[in-house]
Amino acid sequence: MQTPPAIPVPVLRLPRGPDGLSRGFAPDGRRAPPKPEVPGSPGSPVGRESRESREQQARAALRERYLRSLLAMVGHQVNFTLHEGVHVTAHFGAADLDVANFYVLQLQTPIGVQAEALLRCSDIISYTFKP
Amino acid sequence: MAMRQTPLTCSGHTRPVVDLAFSGITPYGYFLISACKDGKPMLRQGDTGDWIGTFLGHKGAVWGATLNKDATKAATAAADFTAKVWDAVSGDELMTLAHKHIVKTVDFTQDSNYLLTGGQDKLLRIYDLNKPEAEPKEISGHTSGIKKALWCSEDKQILSADDKTVRLWDHATMTEVKSLNFNMSVSSMEYIPEGEILVITYGRSIAFHSAVSLDPIKSFEAPATINSASLHPEKEFLVAGGEDFKLYKYDYNSGEELESYKGHFGPIHCVRFSPDGELYASGSEDGTLRLWQTVVGKTYGLWKCVLPEDSGELAKPKISFPETTEEELEEIASENSDSIYSSTPEVKA
Repeated sequence: MQTPPAIPVPVLRLPRGPDGLSRGFAPDGRRAPPKPEVPGSPGSPVGRESRESREQQARAALRERYLRSLLAMVGHQVNFTLHEGVHVTAHFGAADLDVANFYVLQLQTPIGVQAEALLRCSDIISYTFKP
Repeated sequence: MAMRQTPLTCSGHTRPVVDLAFSGITPYGYFLISACKDGKPMLRQGDTGDWIGTFLGHKGAVWGATLNKDATKAATAAADFTAKVWDAVSGDELMTLAHKHIVKTVDFTQDSNYLLTGGQDKLLRIYDLNKPEAEPKEISGHTSGIKKALWCSEDKQILSADDKTVRLWDHATMTEVKSLNFNMSVSSMEYIPEGEILVITYGRSIAFHSAVSLDPIKSFEAPATINSASLHPEKEFLVAGGEDFKLYKYDYNSGEELESYKGHFGPIHCVRFSPDGELYASGSEDGTLRLWQTVVGKTYGLWKCVLPEDSGELAKPKISFPETTEEELEEIASENSDSIYSSTPEVKA
C-alpha cells in the first residue's frame, strides 16, 4: 500500500531579512517610544484625521495585546468569575475566532471536575491567571 | 493527507550562527537574538523570524547572545574581549564590559539587574547593571575556558560549563556547591526553570540532570555528535542538532525518535524551543537560522494550514481526543477549516 506524497506546509511568506540599508530597529516600530504630538489644531480636518488614525493605531495595539494575552494563557490555570457568584478554575486551552467560547481542560466546578469543557464567554464576568 | 515540515529560513548573517536565545513572552510577542561569527548579532520577531535590527559595535565574532525576559535589553559576548549590553528596543549600545580574554556566554537575572559572563579567562563575572562603573564580582575555579554560564534556582545559584565539567555555584557565598565531570567535551547546556531541569549535550549524548542536585535524570543517544539540545516547555519533546546537519525530535518520556529533518548545509550549533513551545529555531555553520514547527501543519506564525481541493482522501475520524500525536493534531488543525467535507464519524478507541 503506497502512502500518498506528503504536501509541504504552506507559508504566507518568507521571514523578512535585513534591509541592507540600516541597522533596523525602525523608529515607527511597535515597541518604539511614543512620538511627540503632530502639530495642527484639533478641530481642523488634518487634526481630526491624525487623531482618528492615532486612535485606530491605539485600538489595533490594544487588540493585539489582548490576543497575545490569550496566547499567553494557553496551558495555564485560570480562575473564572461567572454569574451568580460562581467561581471555577480550569486549564486554558483555546479561544474561538470571535472569542465567544473558551475551550478548557480539567474544569473544577462545584459539582465535580470536567475533563474538557466549553465556557461561554458571555457567561464570564472576569478571569485571572498568573503567567 | 500527510503534511511535510516547511522550515522557514532566516537569512542575513554572513558567517556561522553559533548561539541563539528567545526572550520571554511579552505584550509584543516574543523575540529571538542570534550570535554570529560575523560580529553582528541580530534581533528578530520570534514567531515569524522577521528581522528587526542588528546590534552594531562588536569588533570580533560574537559567541554568545541573550535577551532579558521582556526583551527590553540584549547582551552579547564576543571575541573582542568584551561583553556588551544593548537597548533591544532602539538597538543602542548601553554598556561595554571589558574582559581579559574572549567572552563566550552572557545571562541576565530574572529582574535584569545583574549580568553573568564567562569566557576563555576561566572566570565567572557578575556585573551589577545599575552600577556599570563598579568592578564585577568574580568567581574562579574553572580550569578551562567557560563555554556557558546560566543563572538558576531563581538566580540564587549559577551553573557553568567548561570543556569537561559542569559546576553549580551558590550566588551569595560565591562558592562551588557541586560539580559533574565528563569524559567528552560538553557542547551545550540549557536550564529549564519549571522543574529545575538541566539539559547537557556531550558527544552523541543528550543528558538531563536536576539543576538543584546535578543528579542524572535520564539520557538519550543520537545517531551523530550533538552540539545543542532543547527541551519543550511542556516537557513532551526535545530537539537536538549537531554534526550531521540534521535536526532530531524525540519524545522526552520514551526517548523515541519522532522526526528528523535535513535542511541545513552545515553542522547545527544551537537549537532552542520558543517560549510557547510552538516552534524551535536552529542556528548553523551555514550562516542561517531556521524555524521549525513543533506540530507540523498547524496554523501559526507564517505557517498557514490550507486544505487541498480534493476531498477524496478524507475518510478520517472527525472526533479527536486530547492526545498529542502528530496525526491527530493535524486533523484538529484541519478541522478549523470549512465543513464541506463529509465525514464518517469514527471514534478512535
